[in-house]
Amino acid sequence: MPLIPVLKFDRKAAMNPDRPVNALLKAQVRHLHEAERNLPLQHRTDIYINAIKTEGEAGEYIRQVTNAIHDAHAAAAAKRRRGIAIAAAASDAPSDKGQIQKKSTRATKKKTSPKPTDGTKT
Amino acid sequence: MPPGLDNLKHIVVLMMENRSFDHMLGSLAAVNSNIDGVTAALSNPDTTGAPVKPQPLAEFQSQLDPDPDHHFPAVDLQIFGGDTTPTRAPNMQGFIKSYFNQQKDVGHSQKIMYYFAQNQLPVLTTLALEFAVFNRWFASIPGPTICNRAFAHYGTSFGRVDMNPIDINEPFKAIYDRLIAANHTAKLYYYDATSSTMEVANLLQHEPELFGTYQQFLSDCESGSLPEYSFVEPNYNDHDTDSGEAVASDQHPDHNIQAGELFIASVYNAIKQNPDLWQSTALLVVYDEHGGIYDHVVPPACPPDQFTASANDTGTGQPFAFDRLGVRVPAILISPWIPKGTVINRVFDHASIPATITKFFLGSYSPRSPRETNADVFIEPNTAPVDPARNLLSLDAMRTDCPDFDVS
Repeated sequence: MPLIPVLKFDRKAAMNPDRPVNALLKAQVRHLHEAERNLPLQHRTDIYINAIKTEGEAGEYIRQVTNAIHDAHAAAAAKRRRGIAIAAAASDAPSDKGQIQKKSTRATKKKTSPKPTDGTKT
Repeated sequence: MPPGLDNLKHIVVLMMENRSFDHMLGSLAAVNSNIDGVTAALSNPDTTGAPVKPQPLAEFQSQLDPDPDHHFPAVDLQIFGGDTTPTRAPNMQGFIKSYFNQQKDVGHSQKIMYYFAQNQLPVLTTLALEFAVFNRWFASIPGPTICNRAFAHYGTSFGRVDMNPIDINEPFKAIYDRLIAANHTAKLYYYDATSSTMEVANLLQHEPELFGTYQQFLSDCESGSLPEYSFVEPNYNDHDTDSGEAVASDQHPDHNIQAGELFIASVYNAIKQNPDLWQSTALLVVYDEHGGIYDHVVPPACPPDQFTASANDTGTGQPFAFDRLGVRVPAILISPWIPKGTVINRVFDHASIPATITKFFLGSYSPRSPRETNADVFIEPNTAPVDPARNLLSLDAMRTDCPDFDVS
């Protein structure tokens, strides 16, 4: 099987996060900004997208909002699971109506028994 | 049934950015006369009227600056040469005129005609010569990235020709949702969160669980847990990571072409290095659109979509019925079941992607857009009878001579 060499290149020279942001990245930032506006406040960034001028700045915004979308969905999923777990626990709890009634009767009795006013103990 | 189709369990699509067929693969016409690439007869007039021929002088970076315009009005000029009359015919004579508009520099505008020599792109050209190269794969619309990628995900751009977020108001589901609803598996792999995906407005925002990272793609290949359909996106921006610099690999101007070559080779190697995966996977490497760069093949008319872009939306003063394809792009199908040197002349566009995946994994399905319904498929469904003239995975035995790429 032939082994084809991939041409080597200078990664440092190729890399330029200060490159002016191109039209594609601007569009991606705009799309993510629209998505960010739908996120709960605690998941939003404090980045002003109109101030994004370079590829590096765009990348940082893209990273934050992408992660925020994932986090928001994960938080919602966790909340759903907790809700399901609580409902399941409530439906599994043993039936305790007798105990509850006795308890409330004692409470009622306690409430209704008047305190003696002549100093004698009950 | 053909063993190539019998064995096929995974289809992977890697979609790169903004390079035309002639720019990347045009040199191969000199190597294989069946490949419709650059010839001495081709030219475009510059703004002085002088004919300028394509030349193998493309550079890896810093040449196509500013980024050639590839929005709908500019592509209209590129295809129709500036003719705006109702009876106009496409002539592919407007590329230099279009690029001149950006900098008003005659000499610089001619560079839109430059293409890469074969030895500058060892990965892409080797893949094109070793497997199946498509002479007639076009962008879905004569316009920019977001709409063209939408065709790859939904089979339509829902009437959009611009770069704004697309509202999905119609019932055409993304290919991933169709597969998952039918208990199949599908995933989009973006490079990392800093690069993210170009499909933000709908899929990332509403279904982030569809997404994984490129590192996950690599480990899924290694472990054999790749889904049935995978869509891979390259790195769209230069950024630092915990493990060093991540150079943009999408090949969108002005990103480094060689970084993209390395990325394509890495995706190929990841599949090939797992023998079970290699024999059961077809990899399509394709570009989303031509990026404003010269190509000589006239995009054909096609059956219209059910949407129309208004004259205001197109920016040309004319509406667009999605009845003409965009400019030709490189597209290569890779599998050890494909004969070496295969060249395909049937017409495809990005709607062929959901069309193919749907027909192969689901069979019949509706609703689908008219453009997708009419799109050709690049992998035949594995149901009898299989037309041998159309089946690209046609070998009776798997090849053992497929190349490896040295990415060290």
